[in-house]
Amino acid sequence: MSYLSSIIASIRVGWSRDFGWTNPFLGFSLKTIAPIASTMTAVTVLYIGFRNGTSISPGQFPMLLGFILIGATLYAHISAYSWVPTLAIAEGKWTFVFPQVYVSPKSSPPYLAGRCLAAFASSTVTSIASLAVAIVISSLLFGVTIPLILTPLSISLFGVALIVNILASMGLGFLLGAYAIFASKFEWALPTYVSGLLMVFSEALFPVSLLPHPFSDVGNVLPFTEFIRASRAVLLPLGSVSSYFYYLALSFIGGSILLGLGLFAFRYAERRARRLGVLDRKVV
Amino acid sequence: MNPRTSLWLKTVYARTWVRTKSIYGEPLWVAVNVGFPFFTSLALSLLYSSAGLKAGIGFAFLGGVMVSFWGNVLWSMASQFNWDKQQGLFELYVTSPAPISAILIGMSLGGILGTAPSAITLAIIGWLLFAPPATALWPLVALTFALTLASLYAMGMALSSLYLVYGREADSVNEALHEPVSFLSGVYFPSSLAFPAALQAVVLIIPLAVGMDALQRTLFSLNSTGATDLTPVYRDLLLLAVMGITLLFAASKALKILEEKGRRAGTIAVRQR
Repeated sequence: MSYLSSIIASIRVGWSRDFGWTNPFLGFSLKTIAPIASTMTAVTVLYIGFRNGTSISPGQFPMLLGFILIGATLYAHISAYSWVPTLAIAEGKWTFVFPQVYVSPKSSPPYLAGRCLAAFASSTVTSIASLAVAIVISSLLFGVTIPLILTPLSISLFGVALIVNILASMGLGFLLGAYAIFASKFEWALPTYVSGLLMVFSEALFPVSLLPHPFSDVGNVLPFTEFIRASRAVLLPLGSVSSYFYYLALSFIGGSILLGLGLFAFRYAERRARRLGVLDRKVV
Repeated sequence: MNPRTSLWLKTVYARTWVRTKSIYGEPLWVAVNVGFPFFTSLALSLLYSSAGLKAGIGFAFLGGVMVSFWGNVLWSMASQFNWDKQQGLFELYVTSPAPISAILIGMSLGGILGTAPSAITLAIIGWLLFAPPATALWPLVALTFALTLASLYAMGMALSSLYLVYGREADSVNEALHEPVSFLSGVYFPSSLAFPAALQAVVLIIPLAVGMDALQRTLFSLNSTGATDLTPVYRDLLLLAVMGITLLFAASKALKILEEKGRRAGTIAVRQR
């Protein structure tokens, strides 16, 4: 129970950090603009490919547009909150907040989990808003109707997929956090690289089968890929409910493994950092 | 030489040197800066490829190169004075005889020199991996590139004076600006092939949009005949020159006003968190 109260307190810290500087509406609006723009960039590239390329027929275009809209938005969602633990550590060292966690009676994992959950909640709102806006803009700009399935069932199943993906994103966050404990510079570099790699390997913009072996195999085992596939299976007329559950199960298993690995790596890094005395080393 | 001119030039040199040294003294910066633009360019190249438009790969990698500079303008020019203020460095600037305008110019030159290795590396990787077809008019490409950087960094100078009055919100504004400006500027695609005419006209107020349009036209033919129509390129070059001068003037004015206001109100060195 006390862990739960620590996590809730950390969620409040996260929201205060993200939105305390302004009113919540402006804060959310500013956080929604970037994912809309990155999604629109991807769909515009597809549109130019469709109009000037040779591989996409007019019948395929609306479905592909939906494929990329969902993939690009969910990619932005994943990258928005999976690197929050790294940020909490790096920025926390700079502002002397992170060493204070060790002075408190609780350890750092609930603090980082709370920060991650705060970012998940705000990113979920901004991602859904950006998906809605991107769908409207794409329909107006390209003059097509995107074949989305928006029923109470599909939306509920999509919500479940979002929640299941917390395991993988938090696991990745803890893994990157293990690195951030020791980093004294370029602390933002590794999350940026991982974020870039996810754009290529998570099937956000194109099927991973386009990648040569063994890169396509790497993409196929990532829980993020399965999460995006599960979301597409219920939001687009591509798959079935059974394929949704299949991808969701893979996402759950992969996410659980990643979370276990992340917590193990973080615990190890934390113990080692205590011995080396670098927990309060300031980032320069 | 006039002592004021000499001081101005020495300040430019000193600030350029510090910024250049900070990047070249740590070669890992190149690898760090290449990362995200590379993966974005790679992902969009594969998207172009899957759509059967191999010629589009050049746009994706050119976008990656220019995004490196755009990121540098936002994070290392616009935000710099704000960060300097948080760390107490800005107090030293205003109490020293060094002209602020020279510090800004030095920061820009250092930023361009510092970003160039990662931008060149990205261009080489893109060329080695995909060899995108290019029909470049090199003298025009060089002129366009120089004018684009000049007006972009002039915009960075203008923003840096604006951000000086901000606290923590500067980072959030930067995060909110980066992607939308990249999208509207058609960094990874030719906006003339995607946007309606009205939107194309509106985005011409963004230096990056004008620069990207001219660079895409001079590096890759945008019409079916393969011949480059140079009229829009000359229009873009003229616009870039006008924007560069106007933004430089605006930056200098804004800095003077904010510095004067900050001195009077006693807030010029107040750290905000």
